[in-house]
Amino acid sequence: MTVPRIAARAVVTVASALFFGAVIVTGCGTVNTTSTRTGPADSAVEATTKVNNLLQQLFLTAKEVRMNRTKGGPMEVQVDVENNGFSYKTFAYRFDWVDAKGNVIESQTSVWKSTNVPSGGSTVIRSVAPDEEATDFRLQVRRADS
Amino acid sequence: MRIRTASIASAAALAAFLAAPGCERARYVETGSPEGIISVNDVDFQDILKASSGMLESLGQTGVLKTAKNKPAQLIIGDVVNDTSSRFDVGEVTYRMREQLVNSGQATVVTTFGTTPEDKQAQEVLRREKFLKGETVEPLPDPDFSLTGKITQVKRSAGGTKQATYTFRLTLTNLRTGLEAWTKTVDMTKLGNKNAVGF
Repeated sequence: MTVPRIAARAVVTVASALFFGAVIVTGCGTVNTTSTRTGPADSAVEATTKVNNLLQQLFLTAKEVRMNRTKGGPMEVQVDVENNGFSYKTFAYRFDWVDAKGNVIESQTSVWKSTNVPSGGSTVIRSVAPDEEATDFRLQVRRADS
Repeated sequence: MRIRTASIASAAALAAFLAAPGCERARYVETGSPEGIISVNDVDFQDILKASSGMLESLGQTGVLKTAKNKPAQLIIGDVVNDTSSRFDVGEVTYRMREQLVNSGQATVVTTFGTTPEDKQAQEVLRREKFLKGETVEPLPDPDFSLTGKITQVKRSAGGTKQATYTFRLTLTNLRTGLEAWTKTVDMTKLGNKNAVGF
């Protein structure tokens, strides 16, 4: 057996192992999602994200941000969060609401909440503004467990 | 050389000892932050904050308080029953809701209502005022809604793993019709075999 043939066989073996490893990792608890909406919602708004944790940003992404006024009057925000990683993700989040002047409105609704997203799945995190003065929000996400 | 090795080993042992979780020094954490202790078999303070937040969001979203005759709506805080094995003051849930509703002008709480008022002194002052004015009718506030609720638990285990679901449910009853005007449940499920710090 020549050296190139041994090397080629080794490459094939490693590639197969990687492929089957990936199948095993992604197969456990992975979620497949089907959606009738293919474009952004009418109420979708633009949002900026300041990234301090690159890994978190790579695997957990805010797919769409929607803001609507509720029946009761205050604004409601819904953020679709997708887990593009290979494992279950747990993260904590908090919404702070801001008035037209840019001041954060002190509120009992602004508390840390935690949620989980399975691999390949998504979740909707939402918040209702404490009053009708709130016009914008700030979302903080912390520590995505792998 | 042997002394130097011993010193390094001692330093490493000391560092490991100090870094061990058992030696964690007391420190302040943000109330309700994910760094707090999570108990599988108890309601934690984070759970109370999440519950009151969920209730307030639902109240704001539905706008039920705006349907009251009084502006702002007048509320009576009724009994919230703690039907769990965890001991805590259920007033922590309702007081946080009251703080936001009253201070933002969405509702007021009647504290002088009934035979067991929350504020007996205020009720006495009301009665005295009525008496001095020569009014014979009992000075009754005119509340729109009463808030009642219950906190329940469902516990299960598999092997050494425990799971507990705590359900907070509140109901707002329209006192003019006697009908339920709003209701909301907030669930919290915790799973594990022992309490943990953070998440």
